[in-house]
Amino acid sequence: MNWGGFGTVDGWLAIIGLAIGTFAIRYSFIGLLAGKKLPPRFERALQLAVPAIFAALVVPLILLHAGEFNLQLRWPHIVAALVTGVYAWWRGGMLISLVIGMATLHGLLWFVG
Amino acid sequence: MTAGRSAANRAASRAAFRAGVLECLTLIPSYVPFGLVCGVAGVQAGLGEWGAVALSAFAFAGSSQAVLTQFLSGGAPLMIAVLSGLVVNLRMAVYSAAISPRIAGATRKERMLWAAFLVDQTFISNETRHLRGQHMDHPLAFYLGCAFTLWPWWVLMNAIGAFAGAKLPTSWQLDFTIPLSFVAMVVPLLKSRGQIFAAIAGGVAGVLLYAMPLKTGLIGACVFGTCVGMLVDTMLAKRAASSGTAL
Repeated sequence: MNWGGFGTVDGWLAIIGLAIGTFAIRYSFIGLLAGKKLPPRFERALQLAVPAIFAALVVPLILLHAGEFNLQLRWPHIVAALVTGVYAWWRGGMLISLVIGMATLHGLLWFVG
Repeated sequence: MTAGRSAANRAASRAAFRAGVLECLTLIPSYVPFGLVCGVAGVQAGLGEWGAVALSAFAFAGSSQAVLTQFLSGGAPLMIAVLSGLVVNLRMAVYSAAISPRIAGATRKERMLWAAFLVDQTFISNETRHLRGQHMDHPLAFYLGCAFTLWPWWVLMNAIGAFAGAKLPTSWQLDFTIPLSFVAMVVPLLKSRGQIFAAIAGGVAGVLLYAMPLKTGLIGACVFGTCVGMLVDTMLAKRAASSGTAL
C-alpha cells in the first residue's frame, strides 16, 4: 500500500505561492469592481474579449501538432472540431456535441487507418 | 439573500444548484486525461503524492500546475517556477472582469466564492446561463453546483495520477475533448458580428503567437481579437447610421 509522501519544503512553498497568487488573479476584478458600474465601452470590450481568448486557447489545440501546423496529421481533428461547432451552433447541448465530435474524429482516424 | 428565506426560495436555490451539477457533469470526461497527467507530473516534480493532490485542490488550474511542476522538475528557482505558473493564469483576470458585472449584488463572502472556483469551464457555463436569461435566479447556487462537480472530480483525477501513476492510452485522444468542449460551449455564445470577428482574429493570433513563452501569446491574442471586434462593431455602426437602417 502506497500511503503517499509529502515532498519537500520548497515544493509546499511553491504550492502555497501558486494557490495564493492564482486566487489573487481570480479575485482581482471581482473584488476591485465590487458593486461599481463599468463604463459601457469597457463592458462591450469584455463581450468581445471572451470569444477572442477562447478562440486563442482552442484553435492552436486543434491545428497544431507538437507546436507545428501539420495538416496531414491534424485534418481529422479540424473536421471533428468543425462538426462539433456546427452541431453546437445548430442544436447546442454539451454532451451530444462532444460525442459527435469524438465519434467524427475516431471515425476519420479509423477510415484512413 | 437574507430577504427570502422561504421554502419556495430554498427549493428554487436547490433547483439552480442541481442545474449547475447537470450542466457540468457533461464536462467531466475532459478532465480525465489532463488531471491524470498533472497528478503524475506533481510527484515527478518532488511534491510527493499529497503535495500533488494539494496543488490540484488549492490551485485548481491545470495548465499552471503543468508549468509549475515542469519548472520544478527542471531545477528552476522557486520564485521563477511560481511566477511562470501565475503568468499562465493571467487569462483568469479576463474572466474576473467579465463576471464582475454579472454579480453586482454579491457580498464580499460571496465574491470570494465566485473567485475561488473561477476556471474556464465554470466561467463559460455561467456566461451561457446568463445569456439564456436565467441568471437572475440564484446565480451563486448554479455556479456552486458547477464548481462542486468539477473541483472534486479534478482533485480525484490528480490523486489517481499521483498515487497510481495512471495513464490512458493516447490513441483514445481523450485530451482532444478539452478543445472540443470549449468549441461546443463558446460557439453558441457568438451573437454579434463583432464577436465572430473577435473570435476569428483571436484564433489566428493564438496560432501565430503560440510559440511565445508561458502562453503569454494568449493575452496578446485576446487584446488583438478584442480590438478587431471593436473595429468591426464601430464600422458596422457607422454604416448603419449613414444608411439609416437598423442592423
